[in-house]
Amino acid sequence: MFRLQGSKVLAVDMTGDAVKAKNGSMVAYDGQMDFKKLSGGGEGLRGMVTRRLTGEQMTVMEVRGQGTCWFADRASEINLVQLRGDKLYVESSNLLATDAGLRTGTTFTGLRGASQGNGLFTTTVEGHGQAAITSDGPAVVLRVSPQYPLSVDPGAYVAHQGNLRQSFQSGVTFRTFLGEGGGEAFQIRFEGDGLVYVQPSERNTIAGDV
Amino acid sequence: MTTHYGAGPTVYDPMTLPVDDNVNSYTFCVELKGSQWFLQKGKMIAYYGAIEFNGIGHGRLDRLVRTSFHSPLHASDWVVAEGSGKMLLADRAFDVNSYDLENGNLTIRSGNLLAFQPSLSLKQSIVPGFLTLIGTGKFVAASNGPVVFMEPPLRVDPQALVGWADCPSPCHHYDHQYMTGVMGGLRALTGLGGASGEEHQFEFVGAGTVLLQSTETLMAEQATGGTPQQAGVPGGGGGHGPQGPQAGAPRLPGQLGDLQRRFGL
Repeated sequence: MFRLQGSKVLAVDMTGDAVKAKNGSMVAYDGQMDFKKLSGGGEGLRGMVTRRLTGEQMTVMEVRGQGTCWFADRASEINLVQLRGDKLYVESSNLLATDAGLRTGTTFTGLRGASQGNGLFTTTVEGHGQAAITSDGPAVVLRVSPQYPLSVDPGAYVAHQGNLRQSFQSGVTFRTFLGEGGGEAFQIRFEGDGLVYVQPSERNTIAGDV
Repeated sequence: MTTHYGAGPTVYDPMTLPVDDNVNSYTFCVELKGSQWFLQKGKMIAYYGAIEFNGIGHGRLDRLVRTSFHSPLHASDWVVAEGSGKMLLADRAFDVNSYDLENGNLTIRSGNLLAFQPSLSLKQSIVPGFLTLIGTGKFVAASNGPVVFMEPPLRVDPQALVGWADCPSPCHHYDHQYMTGVMGGLRALTGLGGASGEEHQFEFVGAGTVLLQSTETLMAEQATGGTPQQAGVPGGGGGHGPQGPQAGAPRLPGQLGDLQRRFGL
């Protein structure tokens, strides 16, 4: 069971079950815990090869035991995500911990990944359970519904879940090349039904300057 | 694991997002209804609806420079958001707050100003690195830690100063006793014997409000544009180089004349 202690520490109460967490993110535990490195994120040989090929690397450990284990990552804010059979798309660097029962994998993101500077692939988390994602500043969760599509700055995008289509919006005009761009040249547009997690900070992207 | 403890954060949609108010301490929501807002480049993080972002200074937006900026020198760092919908603003996970000006004026450190309504006009302050907003309207500013409001007369740490409203521009204040004399000179030169780092402050007098942030970490400065190279214009020529207001401690003197004065000779 995941709970937040403050906004930057994740506490997980365990009774013999397991969680997958980012390698080295444990800050404290009480009770009995076993830490086991999972090669290839516990996705088997195929997953391991895929991650190596796509550059969407993720070093994950499995924590199993009795008691409470605390996780944190460079004092970044932690957001809990409840998955009920739907799929969460998140950058591997922003994924802190998941229930062991959740399946993780990699997927192609296309141009969105390129605009974020995070590579062309992203991590998916699927199943029933909880996941914890990190963000620079507390993430704002925005609902996307068919009548309300959402546009997001690639640098502020953290994760999304649900049944969403994403498309790449470009505001590049000849003015951009004259150095008079709007500063928001690229956006990701989400349509469909789901949630988008946005952080109040922008990573450095190519789009940030034009 | 069927107990769903702490089901997660609040989910916002266009109906539940606040109108021209903070979503949380770090994110601000602006509602546009065919109106315009100015924002610094790259501070929009997400939006609902149809909003266009255009650089200032071309075509029909050229008029805005005249009415809202008055100085074309720094206009290229600003973007006009135009359309209808709701947009979220944030800046490197710093605290953001909105302020209302009513027929007033406020001077703010250039790196802290995020966005403002076109009913306000933005001008360069004659204090280098600062911008002045004049008129009536709302603006959004970021700060490192929450903002504290203080009333003059007071002296503030240079690094904690965010801006000031309605009162005269500050002047420098040095703890004279502590910095003069032979011991004071030695302290300032070597740092030995306890330079507290607080010997220099900005002093505010008169009626108004002073805005302070609760850390002494400065936010990166935004270019405010050059100043006309004229005699008598602070920061514009004269050959002394930019004497930034952020200089925390007095510079180490290079000339003997300065040394002499420092040592009280």
